[in-house]
Amino acid sequence: MSTSALARPRTVRQKETRRYLLIYAAVTPFVLIAVFPIYWMAITAFKQDPDLYRMDNIPFWFNMAPTLKHFHTLFYQTNYGSWIVNTMTISVWVALITLLTAVPAGYALARLRLPGAENTGIGIFMSYLVPPIILFLPLSRVVAALGLQDSWWALVVVYPTFTIPFGTWLMMGFFKTVPMEMEEAARVDGCGFLGAFLRVVLPVSVPGVLTAVIFAFTLSMQDFLYGLAFVAPGDQKPVPVGVPTELIRGDVYYWGSLMGAALLVGLPVAILYNFFLDRFIQGITGGVGK
Amino acid sequence: MTSTSQAGDPDTKSVRVAVSLAAIPRSRGWFRSQTSRRLGFGYALLAPAALYVTLLVAVPFLFSLYLAVSDASVGEQMAGFVGLENFKAALEMDTFWIALRNSVVFFVAAAILKSILGTSLAFLLLQNFRGKKIVRALVVIPFTLPVAISVLGWKWMYDSQFSVFNWVLSRMGLIGAYGTDAWPVWLGDPRLALIACVLVNVWRTFPFSAIVLLAGFTSVPNEVLDAAKVDGCTFMQRFHHVVVPMIFPILMVGFLFDTVFTLSDLSVVYILTQGGPGNATQILPVLAYQIGIQAGNLGRGAAIALFLVPLLAPAMFVFLRNLKRREY
Repeated sequence: MSTSALARPRTVRQKETRRYLLIYAAVTPFVLIAVFPIYWMAITAFKQDPDLYRMDNIPFWFNMAPTLKHFHTLFYQTNYGSWIVNTMTISVWVALITLLTAVPAGYALARLRLPGAENTGIGIFMSYLVPPIILFLPLSRVVAALGLQDSWWALVVVYPTFTIPFGTWLMMGFFKTVPMEMEEAARVDGCGFLGAFLRVVLPVSVPGVLTAVIFAFTLSMQDFLYGLAFVAPGDQKPVPVGVPTELIRGDVYYWGSLMGAALLVGLPVAILYNFFLDRFIQGITGGVGK
Repeated sequence: MTSTSQAGDPDTKSVRVAVSLAAIPRSRGWFRSQTSRRLGFGYALLAPAALYVTLLVAVPFLFSLYLAVSDASVGEQMAGFVGLENFKAALEMDTFWIALRNSVVFFVAAAILKSILGTSLAFLLLQNFRGKKIVRALVVIPFTLPVAISVLGWKWMYDSQFSVFNWVLSRMGLIGAYGTDAWPVWLGDPRLALIACVLVNVWRTFPFSAIVLLAGFTSVPNEVLDAAKVDGCTFMQRFHHVVVPMIFPILMVGFLFDTVFTLSDLSVVYILTQGGPGNATQILPVLAYQIGIQAGNLGRGAAIALFLVPLLAPAMFVFLRNLKRREY
């Protein structure tokens, strides 16, 4: 009697411990697979060249002192600085265009009871699914007609083709969650439609609007094809296009600089995106607003 | 400030008029003007986005159909109608058939691998354990990192001489010395290159599969499961008859997205191998880029890109049907 009373909590705890050990044992390979390439890129960026190209050492840690030489090369001997500026400027413009078009469109489709709103919304969202590989050739003609070829402005024009559909869809879902009574109250108090939208609905929708802006920002960084096809001059490229096309010259690879260049911009984007990933998944599975 | 209050003014007035005439029931005219005002406002808000999408997605899409039946090239402004010549020429290219086969193999192999990895990860993340949030945040990094950037990391890991995989394998005694046939050159060996590319796609997208599945699992209310349990369903019955039908729409949407992005993605193969060695990793998107932009043959390139449509169409159809069904 007394022994079983003593033994029981121990077995429960043992069971619990075993469960945890099993879970961690199962999770560890996934984490390793996911993170190792990034760790490898990061350590490469700080290793001295002789350390990178020696096979007799254990490569997973520094065998020589870490160095910032690769970053120095990047900023003083390549266009990396201007790529960062290009990337930032492009993203800000794209986010602004998305903000000014997708937010009002999302509101109109979600709240103003337009005839056929639901189908229009789906139609706009479907255009997100038309892949760039089908659009890039006709768009190259559009870009040329606008006289924007070989300048990063081409990308400002083209990136909204995927940020607007996604943003509109996201905002549609978001505005559906704002209580209808708020607008009705505003209308009774004498606000016009525009007033109700700008002064009542928008202020409570800041988180949704922010999400749309963040996505315009991060989705712009995910592009490779448009940048590759439309922007040829070395100093006009955004980072994700410039690094693979300009820093690899023939057969000579400056792996240290390459990895540094990639992660310096990629990692902040990945972290930002990480925070909003659930919204992204909700957005595409149509779960927003439920 | 001023613009908003001005825009609000006429409306304020109409409300005031309506109030002062409160004795008279609101006329149909008033109601109609409210409706037309609401619709006018709505279409005005919708117009910029709708115009953008129409002009830069719908019109270019139609334009690509036109390009595909023309002899347009990068250098010339004028293009003549050539009928189905481009499609015929594509079908007569050996490279096209290799690219089509590789695209399908790439997609199927990647889909199998990522669904296995994704499902196991989703089940793990359903458990409660300490540090779950950190694990989740770390595991999704491959998906959130910009493609072009992570592929570069893989290119370095697949380096012909300093590949970290080869370092590990050779320390374990599984492969021979550098320079011999037993030393795998991941991106230079036609037998390995496509596998190497598939692995990058799987690495990048399995977290997405897992998160979509997880979103599906957590959307099933516990009450429904409990009710099934009370009714005497076993675990497998509950899974088969309750969970799967309930998460099916979400699964389909996830599958669709993955299909579109895997089939149409050129960055992995372009950065790793540019379709080489030989044509071992040639896929449709890379071929369309090489012919359309690098060789300047817009018409032929557009025709090749359009061959992706029949591959994408089933997924789109399923997606649309699901969205429609969910409304009711």
